[in-house]
Amino acid sequence: MDRPEGKTGIIGWGVYIPRYRLKASDIAKLWGFDPTTPSSLGIHEKAVAAVDEDSITMGWYAASSAIKRAGIKPEKIEAVFVGSESKPYAVKPSGTVIGDALGVSRKRLTTDLEFACRAGSEAVRLVVSLVSSGTIGYGLAIGSDTAQANPGDVLEFTASSGAAAFVIGPAEDAAARFEAVVTYVTDTPDFWRREGSKYPMHGEGFTGEPAYFHHITSSVNLLMEETGLRPEDFDYAVFHQPNGKYPLRVASKLGIPKEKVLPGLVTPWIGNTYNASALIGLSKVLEEAKPGQRILVAPFGSGAGSDAMSLIVTDKASARVNEAPTVEDFLSRKTYIDYAEYAKSRHIIWRNWG
Amino acid sequence: MGKVFVAGVGMTKVGRIFNKGYKELAMEAVDKALNDAGIAVSEVDYLVVSSAFSDSLLNQVDISSILAQEMGIDVPAISVNTGESSGVAALEAALNAVRAGKSNTALIIGVEKLSEFPSAKINSSFSHVLDYEIEGIRGIAPINYAALLLKEYMKRYGVKRDDIFQWAIEMHKRAEKNPYAYLRFALDLDKARNSQVISSPLTLYDVAPLADGAAAAVLVNEDLQTTIRTQPVEIVATASATAPPIYLRNDMLDMLATKKALERLRTTVKFKMGKDIALQVHDSFSIYGFLALEELGVCGRGEGVKAIGDLQYLNVGGGLKARGHPVGASSLYALDETVLLMRDSFSGLRYDGDAALIHSISGAENNAWLALLKR
Amino acid sequence: MAGSFEEVRIMKNSISIFWRKRSDFYKIRLTKCLECGKVSFPSRTKCPYCGSKNVRIVEASGKGTLVNYTVSYYRTEDSDELQPRIIGLVKLDEGVIIPAEIVDVDPDSLRKGLRVEAVLRRLKSDDPFGLIYYGLKFSPVLK
Ligand SMILES: [Zn+2]
Repeated sequence: MDRPEGKTGIIGWGVYIPRYRLKASDIAKLWGFDPTTPSSLGIHEKAVAAVDEDSITMGWYAASSAIKRAGIKPEKIEAVFVGSESKPYAVKPSGTVIGDALGVSRKRLTTDLEFACRAGSEAVRLVVSLVSSGTIGYGLAIGSDTAQANPGDVLEFTASSGAAAFVIGPAEDAAARFEAVVTYVTDTPDFWRREGSKYPMHGEGFTGEPAYFHHITSSVNLLMEETGLRPEDFDYAVFHQPNGKYPLRVASKLGIPKEKVLPGLVTPWIGNTYNASALIGLSKVLEEAKPGQRILVAPFGSGAGSDAMSLIVTDKASARVNEAPTVEDFLSRKTYIDYAEYAKSRHIIWRNWG
Repeated sequence: MGKVFVAGVGMTKVGRIFNKGYKELAMEAVDKALNDAGIAVSEVDYLVVSSAFSDSLLNQVDISSILAQEMGIDVPAISVNTGESSGVAALEAALNAVRAGKSNTALIIGVEKLSEFPSAKINSSFSHVLDYEIEGIRGIAPINYAALLLKEYMKRYGVKRDDIFQWAIEMHKRAEKNPYAYLRFALDLDKARNSQVISSPLTLYDVAPLADGAAAAVLVNEDLQTTIRTQPVEIVATASATAPPIYLRNDMLDMLATKKALERLRTTVKFKMGKDIALQVHDSFSIYGFLALEELGVCGRGEGVKAIGDLQYLNVGGGLKARGHPVGASSLYALDETVLLMRDSFSGLRYDGDAALIHSISGAENNAWLALLKR
Repeated sequence: MAGSFEEVRIMKNSISIFWRKRSDFYKIRLTKCLECGKVSFPSRTKCPYCGSKNVRIVEASGKGTLVNYTVSYYRTEDSDELQPRIIGLVKLDEGVIIPAEIVDVDPDSLRKGLRVEAVLRRLKSDDPFGLIYYGLKFSPVLK
C-alpha cells in the first residue's frame, strides 16, 4: 500500500481539559429536565473553561504538550491549523496567537478552520497532505472549543470545553503512523449557528440517523473499502462523542465491539469538547496502546462530514507519554462548580461593559 | 547657599469633597498659606504644583499653568510628578528655585481630586504608579505588593496580625485631633480586626484612604524671612533615590530607596534620628509605616510595633492612614502639619526638638524622598 | 466627548503596547547581564542592576515554585470577572523571582512551595468588541 499519508505520522500529541466540572444533574435540576436525562445521554459531568480561558488558550496548552512530546524545536513547525466552532474572534485568526506564543516558525501556513466538530480533523488531513507532499516538514493540527449551548437546551448537558493538538511529521519519527485517511461529506444541515447568533441550533433527532450515523458509517466503510481492512483488524476505535451513547451505537452498527470503543470514550466525564472530542479520545488511546496496534479514528462534524483514519502505533509512542500531562492527568484533576459559576465563566451572564 | 524658610502653610480638609473641584480646593489652600505668611499673591514669583493624577483623573495636563491662570499670576509654573511622593519632590523643586536665586517667594501647591470617578477607575489609575508595561498589564496593584510584604514581615519577625493594626489605631488617635483629617474617629482592635480583607492578609484598616485635598506652602529666601510674621521653619535639605522594583530586590523588606535617600541626606546635613524626633513617614499601607521606621533607624528591624506607642511626634496629623491620602498633596500635608508643630503647636502637641524629618515613597518604594526641617 | 467615551469603552488598552511586548507576554524572558552576571525579569535593553547594555535575553522554562501569595479582592477596571485574584511571587527554576497572577487554584490549597507552570490566558479583554490580550499567568503544575 503506498498511499501518500503512509509517509506521515503523529510525532507528538497533547490535550487540554479545563479544571472545572459542572454536574449534568445540576443542569437537569435548574432547567426542569427529568432526572434520568443525563443517564439517557450517557453524561455525568462536563468540563468548563475558566473565565480567562478560550479556544486559543486551550489550544496553546494542548499544542505545547504536543511539541514537548514531539521533542522538536517549535521553529521546525511550518503550519498551524486551528479547528474550532467557538473562535474568540469572528474575524482574526487564532493560529497567529497560538503560533507566536509557541514560538513556531514565522514561515508558516496558518489558518482557522470551521466545520462544526470536524474542523480539527480536517486540520489533521491538511497537515498530513502538506507533510506527505514535502511542502512542510512538520505541522500542527489543533482542535479546540469552548462549546456554547443555549441555556436550557438539551445541548447544554454536553457542550463543554477542551483541546487536542498533534504535531504531524515524517512517519520514521512517528508515535503513530497514518495508514490511510478518507473523508465523506454531504450537505446535511443537522446543526448550525447563524452569523451573529450566540448559540447554535440543531435538528434534534435529525442530528442522529441522517447526520452522525450516516456520515461516520460511510467514511469508515469507505476506509475499509479502499484499504481492505476489516473491523476486526482494529484494536481501538474512536468516534466523535457528542454524548456517551452515540459512539457505542455507531460501533455496533459497524460491527466493532464496545471494548474497543470504551478506552477512547471520554465524553461521559468531560462532555462533548466538539473539535477536540474524538481527538482527545485518540490521545487517550495513544497513551495506552502497544506498538503495532491499529487505531480507527472517525471524527464527525455537522453539516455534515466524517473522516476515517487508520493509524498504527509505533514503538516510539510509550516513551513520549510522560513528556507532558496525559488525558488521565486531566480527567483526575477536577473542581466542581455550580451552575452560577459556570454561567459566569462561559459568559452566559454579563455585567455591563465599561 | 542661602537659607530657605517656610513662610506660610495652608490646608483644606481631606475627604470626599463633592461640592468643590480641584481648583477650588487649591485656591482655598493657597489663600490660607498666603494669608498665613502675610504675603500677597502678586509677590509670588514661582509656582510648583504636585498632582499625581491630574491628567489621568482630571483630564488636565499642565495643571500648573492652569492654576497660575486661576490665581491671576504670570510666573514660571511647573508641575512635578513622582507618584505618591510628588509633594516632597515639588518641595525640592521650589527649594532649588529659591536657592538658585530664580525665586524669592515660591508657592507650592499639592492637589488631588480622587472622588470624581468610581473606585474601580481610581484604583486602576492608582495602580499605574507601578510599571504599567510590566506590572500593571499583568494585573498587579501596589496593594498586592503591600500584602506580600506584610506576610513576609509577620513571618520573619513573628509579628501577629493584630499587632499590625496598632498602626491604624495609633494613626486614628492622631487624626481625631487633626481638624483637617479624613478619618477623625477612634479605631479599636475589634473594629480593625473585623474589617474586610482587601488583599490577604491586608484589610481595610491597613490601607490609607484615597481622598481629595489640597495643601500649599510658601517658601522664602533669607532676606524675606525677617519680613514675614510667622516663626520661620527652615527647609535644610531634601534627598531622594529610586530603587529597583521589589521583585528584583535581594530582600523585599529592605526599603532600598529610603536607605539610599537617607545616606544622601546625611552627607549634606547632620541630625540625630531617635524616638523623639518629629517624623512623618509614608504609610499608604501600614506595613510601609513600620518598614520606614525601621529603615530610618528609629527602631530595630521587626521592632516597629513595640516602638510605635512611644513615638509621640510620629505622623502628628494621622498619617496617610487616617488623615487620608490625597496622593500628590499628601506629603505637603505632612510638611504643613510639621511646620505648624515646629512653630507653635499642632493637634494640641508641643514639640521641643529642633529637627523634623518627612519621608515619602511611591508605589512599592520605586522612589523615596526625604526633607529635613529645622526651626 | 460622547464619541470618545464610547471608543474608550471599546478599546481601553493599547494595541501597539501589547503588540510590541508580546514576546514578553507569551514567554517568560529574562535579561542576563554579561557585565555583573545578574539575571532579571523581564527582557530589558539594559541591566536593571548595573545599567550595562551588555545583556543577553534568555527564555525561562516557565516552571517555578510559589514563594509568596495574596488573595486580592481589590477591584480595578479590568478585574470584574476574575475575582478574587491571586497574585504571587514565583521563583522560576532559573532562580529569578517574578510577580505573577496564579490561576486555577483553590485559595485554600495555596501554599509556599507549590509547583507552578506558566499558562497562556486572557490577560485583558476589551469587551465586548475590542481586542483580547493574551499573556502568561501561572497555575499548579499537572505533571
Ligand atoms: Zn548588570
